[in-house]
Amino acid sequence: MKPKLLLLCVVAWLCWSCNDQCKETRVVRRFSNVTYSLMELRTQVKAESPRSLVQPGKMYVKGKYLYVNEIKKGIHIIDNGNPASPKFITFINIPGNGDIAVRDNILYADSFCDLVSIDIANPTAPKEVGRVKNVFKTGLFDGGGWSLNESIGAISDQNVEWVEETIAVNCEDNVPPTSWWGGIIWMMADRASFSSGSSASPQSSGGSNGQAGSMARFALDRNFLYAVSQSQMHLFKIDKPAQPVDFTTINLGWGIETIFPYNNKLFIGSATGMFIYDNTNPAEPKQLSNFQHARACDPVVVHEDIAYVTLRAGTACGGGQNQLDLVDVSNPSAPQLIKSYQMENPHGLSIDFPTLFLCEGEHGLKVFDVSERFSVDKNQLAHFEDMHAYDVISLGKTLLLIGEDGFYQYDSSNPKNLRLLSKIPVGKAI
Amino acid sequence: MKKIAYLCLLLAATAANAQTGKSPRFVNHTEFGGLFGRVKYDNPYTGNQEQVDSKTSLTIQTFNGVQLNRRLSAGVTLGMDWYKAALLNPIAGGMRYDLVGRKNVQLFGTLDAGYAFAWFHDDSEGFDTKGGLMVNPGLGIKVGKPGSAAFTLALTYKRQEAHVTKAPLWDQKERFEDRVYNRLALRLGISF
Repeated sequence: MKPKLLLLCVVAWLCWSCNDQCKETRVVRRFSNVTYSLMELRTQVKAESPRSLVQPGKMYVKGKYLYVNEIKKGIHIIDNGNPASPKFITFINIPGNGDIAVRDNILYADSFCDLVSIDIANPTAPKEVGRVKNVFKTGLFDGGGWSLNESIGAISDQNVEWVEETIAVNCEDNVPPTSWWGGIIWMMADRASFSSGSSASPQSSGGSNGQAGSMARFALDRNFLYAVSQSQMHLFKIDKPAQPVDFTTINLGWGIETIFPYNNKLFIGSATGMFIYDNTNPAEPKQLSNFQHARACDPVVVHEDIAYVTLRAGTACGGGQNQLDLVDVSNPSAPQLIKSYQMENPHGLSIDFPTLFLCEGEHGLKVFDVSERFSVDKNQLAHFEDMHAYDVISLGKTLLLIGEDGFYQYDSSNPKNLRLLSKIPVGKAI
Repeated sequence: MKKIAYLCLLLAATAANAQTGKSPRFVNHTEFGGLFGRVKYDNPYTGNQEQVDSKTSLTIQTFNGVQLNRRLSAGVTLGMDWYKAALLNPIAGGMRYDLVGRKNVQLFGTLDAGYAFAWFHDDSEGFDTKGGLMVNPGLGIKVGKPGSAAFTLALTYKRQEAHVTKAPLWDQKERFEDRVYNRLALRLGISF
């Protein structure tokens, strides 16, 4: 009798409890809407005591100083006189900042809708000296968009947070996130982008400019600051560097991401291709050509007659290709594809011919010898996998690299064997 | 986890080697049947309403061991379970113990514990399925003359863990699923 009773109990218990328990855990981008008053935002640009990197964005180099953007928060000024031990000097609080350009002693930065010029003659006490108001209308930070509401003088912003959520699933399907409709409009999401302008680099004339990474949206050329937004290029006249003047706006089309000035030309990376503008007259860039390719995110760098364009597929950019394109731009009116190479998730890149440094996002940094243009993939010199690489600036013997986990400096005198000089990890206390 | 599985195997092997004297009698118990269960979840397609689905999966397993004494045999159980989204191969240490019964009908206890591998599972791109710990205790009835082949009917509880790394969706950085299959296993088999 006893065993039968036992059996009955066991069976009953089994039948009650046979539920599969499946929990899906995911780290999801969560948006929350906030409104800032412009009146208040415009009082907030000021120097503060140095602080640690939290969410580093773009970087900019001029002389011995590094300028590292803290996405949407401001700019770290770092004394890099000794690359082995960079020192944080000051943090400039700039709400809504994503891009940087420096001409002489003036730093240009975006602050949501405004372009701010900041005197950094004394890097320990930078101060705001000029402001062009309401030039940028919308922008993106880390997938969250902001827009300018001129009628009430406010910025409608979306804060982006990564939250971990766990939900019960049915152990079978590929269950979509609960808020799957939440962000499709932000398909173009990059880490930081503006509806009008950003800054970049190399060419100089008159004053001395710094050097930006390839992800830059600001560029300096002669007496102009070029800032590309998602659909436009803004030109600011900087005859008087401290007081930039809104000069003109050129419509470019959709999905503009980066600008790279080279040899009196502007190479503009967009989500659909690469635009080449003739900039012989810096006040009036003229479109020479539009190299169309698949839809993807794509910074550009140029060396002599070859443009190196990366296409990045992925969550934020749409498109389905991850590749490096070499484009012959010897005739800028008719750029021709040389060859495409498959990559993993290319972000920023930098060239120190014949060495090409290419950031692969979470896949690290790749180094190529590009002297043989048809066999770049066979000339991969190195692949550093243990870091996140977002953008890179090659300064000849030194390589600056920024990623989600921190800011790195390498001795690149031997590109096959980069030697780490210093690392500023994210979150490290100053 | 894998270590535990190996430990179980080792234990089973040691138990088998512990035989002294006359050569041990080999025991095989091969079964097939169903794994029955339910799942309760929030269905995102219907506004996250809670939904309960019934689940059935096919299972086969074979226990090979040695008779340790009149009632107890111990060995290794190899199986294959076709869950809807995972094909798992449990490798377990197992034992069968005759509890009570008349001559031709025996009530027996069964216990298998080990680790399941996803060797034969084929993942879609971006997904990575891994197995996990498995424990499977229960009771059964054996019909047949002692010492010769017998039919068995076993009712057991099976708990199987699994872990799936999934491709993140567009607004996600990371996505994975921890599964625990809690199933009622009803198996028919033969043993000799």
